[in-house]
Amino acid sequence: MIETLVQHGIQYGVYLAEVGLFLYLVLWGHCKRLAGVSLYVAGLLTIDTIARPRVLALYGFTSPQYFYFFYVTDAILALSAFLLVCSFFRRASVERREMWQSLRLVLVSVFIIVVGISCVSLKMNYTNLFGRFTTEFEQNLYFTCLVLNTVLYILIQHVQVADDELELLVCGMGIQFAGPAANFALMYLTPGSHFFMSVMQYVGPLCTLGMLGLCFYAVRIPKAARARAREARRLGNAAVRRA
Amino acid sequence: MILASMILILSIGLFLFYLQATCQKILARKFDQEYFQSIVDANRLEFPFVRKALEEFDTPVDYPWICMTLKCDYLALTYLLKNAANAEQSYSREERLLMLYFRAIFGALCTLHFLKLHEKPAVLKLTAILQHFADVIGYRVNKVRFGNLSASDYLLTL
Repeated sequence: MIETLVQHGIQYGVYLAEVGLFLYLVLWGHCKRLAGVSLYVAGLLTIDTIARPRVLALYGFTSPQYFYFFYVTDAILALSAFLLVCSFFRRASVERREMWQSLRLVLVSVFIIVVGISCVSLKMNYTNLFGRFTTEFEQNLYFTCLVLNTVLYILIQHVQVADDELELLVCGMGIQFAGPAANFALMYLTPGSHFFMSVMQYVGPLCTLGMLGLCFYAVRIPKAARARAREARRLGNAAVRRA
Repeated sequence: MILASMILILSIGLFLFYLQATCQKILARKFDQEYFQSIVDANRLEFPFVRKALEEFDTPVDYPWICMTLKCDYLALTYLLKNAANAEQSYSREERLLMLYFRAIFGALCTLHFLKLHEKPAVLKLTAILQHFADVIGYRVNKVRFGNLSASDYLLTL
């Protein structure tokens, strides 16, 4: 009884946070400036608050239809988060064109490889989706995104990008990837464990809640602070060019 | 199996790393002046002396004194955060996160002491969190006005 209440509480908290952040981005005019984040939150909102509950109501929690739908949409969300991290790479290297041009090639190649491997492995294990394959697939996908996000964080520190908002958004995405990746790995290492399966029902939404909270905090950084950061970045770049 | 174990360890490590990076980012917030000094003086807080002793004089860590001092300052500052010039009488989300961060580092400090490892960086992080709390309180108190005077100006006229 209490467990169900806690689960519902967390789930409705995530719904509220998704709706709140999306409305904040739209109504306060951040949509254009943060197009990537807005699109990702819109996708999350559509899948999490509309599509999944609809499929759950139609087929039930234990149905294969809901299982397939949940994991396919989870993979789609992970891939769209991957694209969002790529957009953060662009933002981090917006004033370093040469770096962005070489990064762009690497990111496109990595994305094609990830999508290709995902499609091939899904096709090869099409009959075995209920087994350990799904857990392994999700674990690898989340971990790839986590590694990419960490590379971005290191890049931001290395080139000293003075952008507090971007740094906080990257930290948020890191939390969003790291929690589920660890949990999927734990599920893979302990097959058939109902305990870790039920922990997953908390870890995923809690990490999403953390990521949305950090996004909200980052977006609410005052304009003056953002302008100071831009000015510091401009001065830093001028100094680099002079050198 | 080995790959999954590696992913598990690295993911947990990176999860904690991102949490720590978030807290450090919040702590890096710049205030337009040093609000913490008035709060430190008014409440006789001792964390600036701890930091000064470690940074400037490079004295060895007196563990019992530092633990007691930081714990007392933490209790005083969290009480003030909740009750001083705070109309909502509750902590904000970032304050709650930093309080958790303080407790985690305090726990790590105890472990470091037990294992006889280098404690100085952990103590400096704790003082940075306390300074942030004092800055937040000072900033809030400074915004409260008595007629045309700020709280600190008002106190000077007494």
